[in-house]
Amino acid sequence: MQYRSFLTNRYLRKRWAPWAATLAVALGVFSLISVLAVMEGFKMEMKDRIRGSLAHLIVKGSPTRMLVGEDAVLEAALSRPGVEAATPFIETLAIYKSTELDYCILRGIEPVTESTVSDLGSYLLRDGEIDMLLADPFLSLPDERTSLEAAEVDHIFSLERRRQLLRMGLRGTPADGFAEESPPQALVVGIEALRSMRLAMGEVVQLSTYSPVTYEPRLGRFIVVGAFQSGVYEQDQRWAYADLRALQEVLDLWDEDAQDMRISGISMRLEDYSRSDDLKQQVGAELTRRMDLDSSDPLAIPWRFHEVETWEDQRANLLKAVEIEKRIIAIMMLLIVAFAAAMIFLILMLLVIEKNRDLGVLRALGATRGGVVRLVLQQGLFLCIVGCLLGLLSGWWLTENINEIHDYVYRSTGLRLFPPDIYYLEKIPAHLRWQDMVLVCTPTLIFGFLGSFIPAMWAGRSDPIRALHHE
Amino acid sequence: MNQPLPVVVARGLEKNFSLADGKPLEVLRGLDLDIHEAEMVAIVGLSGVGKSTLLHCLGLLDTPSEGTVIYRNGEDTWQTPGLSERQRCDLRNQFIGFVFQFFHLLNDLDVLENVMLPAIVGSTSSEWRRRKDQVESRATSLLKLVGLDGREHQAPGTLSGGERQRVAIARALINDPRLLLCDEPTGNLDSRTSSRIHSLLRDLHEELGTSILVVTHDPDLAARADRQLAMVDGRFEVPPKAPSEVT
Repeated sequence: MQYRSFLTNRYLRKRWAPWAATLAVALGVFSLISVLAVMEGFKMEMKDRIRGSLAHLIVKGSPTRMLVGEDAVLEAALSRPGVEAATPFIETLAIYKSTELDYCILRGIEPVTESTVSDLGSYLLRDGEIDMLLADPFLSLPDERTSLEAAEVDHIFSLERRRQLLRMGLRGTPADGFAEESPPQALVVGIEALRSMRLAMGEVVQLSTYSPVTYEPRLGRFIVVGAFQSGVYEQDQRWAYADLRALQEVLDLWDEDAQDMRISGISMRLEDYSRSDDLKQQVGAELTRRMDLDSSDPLAIPWRFHEVETWEDQRANLLKAVEIEKRIIAIMMLLIVAFAAAMIFLILMLLVIEKNRDLGVLRALGATRGGVVRLVLQQGLFLCIVGCLLGLLSGWWLTENINEIHDYVYRSTGLRLFPPDIYYLEKIPAHLRWQDMVLVCTPTLIFGFLGSFIPAMWAGRSDPIRALHHE
Repeated sequence: MNQPLPVVVARGLEKNFSLADGKPLEVLRGLDLDIHEAEMVAIVGLSGVGKSTLLHCLGLLDTPSEGTVIYRNGEDTWQTPGLSERQRCDLRNQFIGFVFQFFHLLNDLDVLENVMLPAIVGSTSSEWRRRKDQVESRATSLLKLVGLDGREHQAPGTLSGGERQRVAIARALINDPRLLLCDEPTGNLDSRTSSRIHSLLRDLHEELGTSILVVTHDPDLAARADRQLAMVDGRFEVPPKAPSEVT
């Protein structure tokens, strides 16, 4: 009926109090949208960074017996259509003493093939970049920087570079004991290990670990030949890369039974990550099939326990934690929206009480009980929808301009709301998903409806005769 | 000369309320009433005799405990009990016009909008778009008729009591109702203003031919009616003239 829109227009045009409820709804939706967008952007950025340093899919053996038959395992994985590249790796824990005792997660890799499987090529730093990053603790590399070519990656781990760095390091301390011609093995560390001064470029460091096969303590001398920045603080602090073959020697990974060197597993890059679950099954099945073959079969792989994991399986807890955190924040912040809906309820209730006589007049003039209910409901929902739209628009605007706003605040006040050295992000990531918009708007509208429903029912139940008796 | 047909016929109207102690309170006790076309009827009586309750029952704002009311518009008749909520609302909107003691104008609307309100309530959005100009011009002419031309866009709060009641009368007439129910229309006005409203009601009655039932304490207004009925304890003191049967 026409009168509902007509009266809604008149009532809302002449009062500011209902718009306070709209403002509250808008603020609630705005906060929720902005927080969810930043959380989502943060999650995506984190996933992207973690994924970059991990392979799409890995096969790993047990920590002690590991895997053998490296070539056959790689060949089995690459035989599956959809597996683009594969490379072996070793992973172990090592402690070292520099300025203080510290530990690292040591990964043995084939540098060139590793960079075809993970984003190692884009994380490895050139010497000039290392100097820049060490000079400015807030600096991150620009997105448009070019990745290292295979030859550059290879050069970092090369004998020539090790000799060169050793030569520079030995200058002034000739009694160090290392001959320039037989330098220690290459070690590439995370940029944060250099920034925290625990390690330095060209430094010779002794890594202590245990052989997973013999459980004997093992020592290896390495020289820091390069650094990487993956964008994941923990990795940039703790991870270190060494040459796979050198690490196999250090850890004494010779397998007498198989007459082969052991590896921790293999990493794979897939053509299409969305097929990861399917390929995970396929690779697992193919390896099991080949391990079950008779040892005389040329395709046979010596049997070892193995499991196939996607990178998300490997970091499931972390990803789940971020998702849960996002959900908890969303639920907590829904309280703001509930508060806004309570404001709608209170303001409508006051309006209904104030306009009780008008509603009685409307009934006398021919409005139905349902019409009066819908009149109040319409006002509540109108306020809620306008608030929701305002909140969505302002949230979207903030999401689009969050870094410009942050820079403006920084320039004006010198206050860094989002310090890059803590969050390890140069820019505040924000990504607004339509699912999050639905997640915010649906409960807001439901709360708004509930907040309007009670005053509307109250209005519908009021007795027009009683209302008309009062002046 | 033939007696005009009644627009409203009430038979055996009773209305009971329950008191706090559970005892019934009989407000209307088997009332019979006919209001004929173009007739002005005044009901007088002391406070609490049931005048307003009768008006509410006839105006479909309240439901009688017993008895029937028949509304007639030409060949169409409606009888209560038996009306749906929608029919009751349509009758209140189209067939009946209300004038209240306290005017009951909506302060958020201007004078013209108040007058147009029953037409707005009775229209769907598309009907309103079609009828708006026509309703607006009728409202303007009604305001002229009640002596308020040029005051269309004033807020009701800026009008005097008598002026507000004139707006309320114009509002009651906007849908050209068959029956105007006036509940103490001058009960809240001074004697001079009351006299003007009495004249206005009488003039409108003669000019528009609308049937009017007016509940009043005011002997001057009652004297201007075609017929006076005195109510005592839920009954008419002098029975109304023999009612015509509605066929």
